[in-house]
Amino acid sequence: MATAGRCRMPTEGLLTLMQWLSPGFPLGTFSYSHGLEMAVADGRLRDAAGLQDWIATVLTHGTGRNDAILLAEAYRSDDAQQIDALARALAPSRERLLETTAQGEAFCTTVNAVWGLDLRPMCLPVAVGRAARMQGIALDVTLSAYLHAFTAGLISAAQRCMPLGQTQAQRIVADQTPLCLSLAQAALTQSIDDLGGSAFLADIAAMQHETLQPRIFRS
Amino acid sequence: MTLAAPLHDDPHHLTPRAQGVLRIGVKAGNRLDTLRQSGASKALFPRHAGGDLLAVTLNTAGGVTGGDRFSIAAQVAQGSHLTLTTQTAERIYKAQPGQTARMTTEAALAPGARLDWLPQETILFDRCRLRRRLTVDMANDAIFLGVETLVLGRALMGERIEAGFAKDDVRITRGGDLIFADAIALDGAISDQMAAAWCGGPANCLASVTYVAPDAEARLNTLRALMPANAGVSLIRDGVLFARVLAADSHDLRRALIPVLTALRGPLPPTWTL
Repeated sequence: MATAGRCRMPTEGLLTLMQWLSPGFPLGTFSYSHGLEMAVADGRLRDAAGLQDWIATVLTHGTGRNDAILLAEAYRSDDAQQIDALARALAPSRERLLETTAQGEAFCTTVNAVWGLDLRPMCLPVAVGRAARMQGIALDVTLSAYLHAFTAGLISAAQRCMPLGQTQAQRIVADQTPLCLSLAQAALTQSIDDLGGSAFLADIAAMQHETLQPRIFRS
Repeated sequence: MTLAAPLHDDPHHLTPRAQGVLRIGVKAGNRLDTLRQSGASKALFPRHAGGDLLAVTLNTAGGVTGGDRFSIAAQVAQGSHLTLTTQTAERIYKAQPGQTARMTTEAALAPGARLDWLPQETILFDRCRLRRRLTVDMANDAIFLGVETLVLGRALMGERIEAGFAKDDVRITRGGDLIFADAIALDGAISDQMAAAWCGGPANCLASVTYVAPDAEARLNTLRALMPANAGVSLIRDGVLFARVLAADSHDLRRALIPVLTALRGPLPPTWTL
């Protein structure tokens, strides 16, 4: 069912996903660090090993797993509005709410203009789930690509606020790929009831970021 | 659990299922309108200095185990003020295989009503299984202050949670719109999960404080100044203030929470001493 939409070949869907989730797609992703800038600024996150831990927790116990569940539910559901309301309500801080709503709105604007969809402004995972469904792109690939792009975006933010070589950065992205795949696989059978996490210190860093000065990120 | 467990270790003998239902309605003048209590749930209404109606709930079963069902429903009428707390910390004990305890609290707040939901700590024990849900449906100008605390094994006793499950959900609607949700999910080796970097790290306890009120924004700077090291507070959206506070043990956590809650309501119920 997932591949029965407008994309005749899986490759076409993959290319669409690559476009949507590339750093060149105008979402403003470069403006958000998800609280990472705070963790670096107060010295708790110093090196590549620390960054690996931070990313793994955010993926496994935080936004990664929850965005995947929200994306999958939005893909399957006919009532995206309700899932979007829940996605917004779950944001643990003002800047995290901005991060997911501003990128989601930018995504909807561009996808509507280029692909002729009529998405209302929604949080990013919900918007990507709806757009993938409308374009007939398979859910499992969409989830994997979304989580991989989320990871790459966070590593890219890290490169701008801590010492991290380009090769090292790409190694961390590659190291997280199996985790992205397993979280994507899990989300296929998860539902709203499974939403939840325990990335408490990562969320607290995002709250503390509100008063960080100077700063280069909006979250 | 081994199949050859001796009979006296059989949790079915030690911990029969308990049920408790509590319904509390408060009317104008902060007077009790309705009270229904059944099973293991009771409510006391001690005299106290504040003008609000103070209800102290207790669980006569002495704890919660898998398969138990506890529910509280509170209705706060226009302009009235209810404070709910618990007589003791709630203990969530080892569950029987395949059983999960359920605790639900539902509150309805009329225009101008206020509910302070201030239960004492919830202490999780090894092999607990808990699904807890707090639902608040409030009018636009109502006020809700809530605190919920999870203690993941008593650190001073060297307790660890090697296996267990705890799902703690909060949903708040204001004027019919969902404005806040929290979902804590702890599954499996909970102590190890909490110890992961950027989950809890060295902290063994966490508290969530939610303040939904027209004047929430005016409280933000006060609360920021009261936050200890591993804590954060945010005005997530207009009228919605949320804080998460971590601490090494429940005593430290309470010491951090008392000034925060006092700033948001004035003096705390007598159950909230150090």
